[in-house]
Amino acid sequence: MTRLVVKGIGVAGAFGTGVESFQSALAEGRATVGSVEVATGEGVVTVPAYRADTAALEEFVPKRALRRVDNYSKLALLGSYLALKDAGMLGADLGRLGLVIASGYGATATTYAFLDSLISGGDTCASPTHFANSVHNAAAANVAITLGIRGPSLTVSQFDMSVPSALVSARQWLAEGRVDAVLFGAVDEVSELVAYLQHRRYGPRHVAAMAPFDAGTESSIIGEGAAFLVLTRDDGGTAYCGIDSVETGNVFGGGLSLPDDALMLLGADGRKELGRRYLDTVAAGATAACYTPIYGSMPAAAAFDLAAAALALKNGQAFASPAGPGPFAPDSAGVSRICSLRLAGPSEYATVLMSKL
Amino acid sequence: MDTKEKLKQILVKDLNLEEVTPEEISNSAPLFGEGLGLDSLDAVELVVIVQKHFGVEIKDMEEGRKAFQSVDSLAAYIEARTAA
Repeated sequence: MTRLVVKGIGVAGAFGTGVESFQSALAEGRATVGSVEVATGEGVVTVPAYRADTAALEEFVPKRALRRVDNYSKLALLGSYLALKDAGMLGADLGRLGLVIASGYGATATTYAFLDSLISGGDTCASPTHFANSVHNAAAANVAITLGIRGPSLTVSQFDMSVPSALVSARQWLAEGRVDAVLFGAVDEVSELVAYLQHRRYGPRHVAAMAPFDAGTESSIIGEGAAFLVLTRDDGGTAYCGIDSVETGNVFGGGLSLPDDALMLLGADGRKELGRRYLDTVAAGATAACYTPIYGSMPAAAAFDLAAAALALKNGQAFASPAGPGPFAPDSAGVSRICSLRLAGPSEYATVLMSKL
Repeated sequence: MDTKEKLKQILVKDLNLEEVTPEEISNSAPLFGEGLGLDSLDAVELVVIVQKHFGVEIKDMEEGRKAFQSVDSLAAYIEARTAA
């Protein structure tokens, strides 16, 4: 396939805003878990959650211009601006820039605010602004309009497979020469709905930290944030790393073969139903790491994995797994190839193979 | 609270006008353009706001255009239809 390179990174999450905050959190294994309060039939409950702050967006966009933009789109805008700034492309002609955004949940807070207004006031009293912001591609629309991106725009929503599926499209656009660069990213938000579903699924929980390698325990903590990358074809210039291949599939349709010379970056995030699959898929003793305890459990976390892998490859050294190595061997000799692995449901998988330049 | 004060509070909150307080909105200043700076998307939102908070429907575009001139005109429109 056409080799891609990562030219810029823009991240916002519970660890803070920007590459430096992200890199510090990864290096220190530091996670900041907050919470969200949600009304349930049993009263108001507090659900642990990784929360992101979009205040830094005011550095790029006047506050008044954001008054019709909801939290979901603000997260995407912040990730976009940071990635373009990191790539040195802020203010550049973006006529040949494509935009691909992945989201597993979409704008759940606004969607349910819109539905609540329908229920309480009838269809004539439903907010048009809420409706416009409630569709999944609202983030891409807000990013394209605000930044003046005139290339193709795509939003991909396929729950846990959203990020790798979106990356397949981004790669294709670059391979075809349809665009010269792609602003590629993922965004998900914590809302009362997401917290309520988490509470209903797992009941009262008081885990202090995610334990993704403990397959016998449910330890997921919901997260929110945006992770964006500026991708181009490999032009021999400076970049964080290369992306050599992207593969999505189903184990029922053929075997999943993993490279034996790459650090395995696992997307395990404390969900008990997936934890066992990761341990069964990657051999004990393999060189592996998992960084989800830095940003939380959400479909968009797969893009944070890619951003973390890009930083590790640029440094030539993987970050230690914040929850410990589990049954795997930590990177000790320096890393030159990383295979990001995401599993979903009983059989789906995705791998992204990245390498040092 | 009279209609004008209630209206100004709702405008600030529902239209997310974070840079202005209800007290700073002049009753006679234009809502659109140079005044409060609202735009056509806000006009659609205003129709919903007036119905939701005051139970007054604005069905006629010409009536709406006159009512949306200022806080004074919108309050008068609402009061004329809720007085009966």
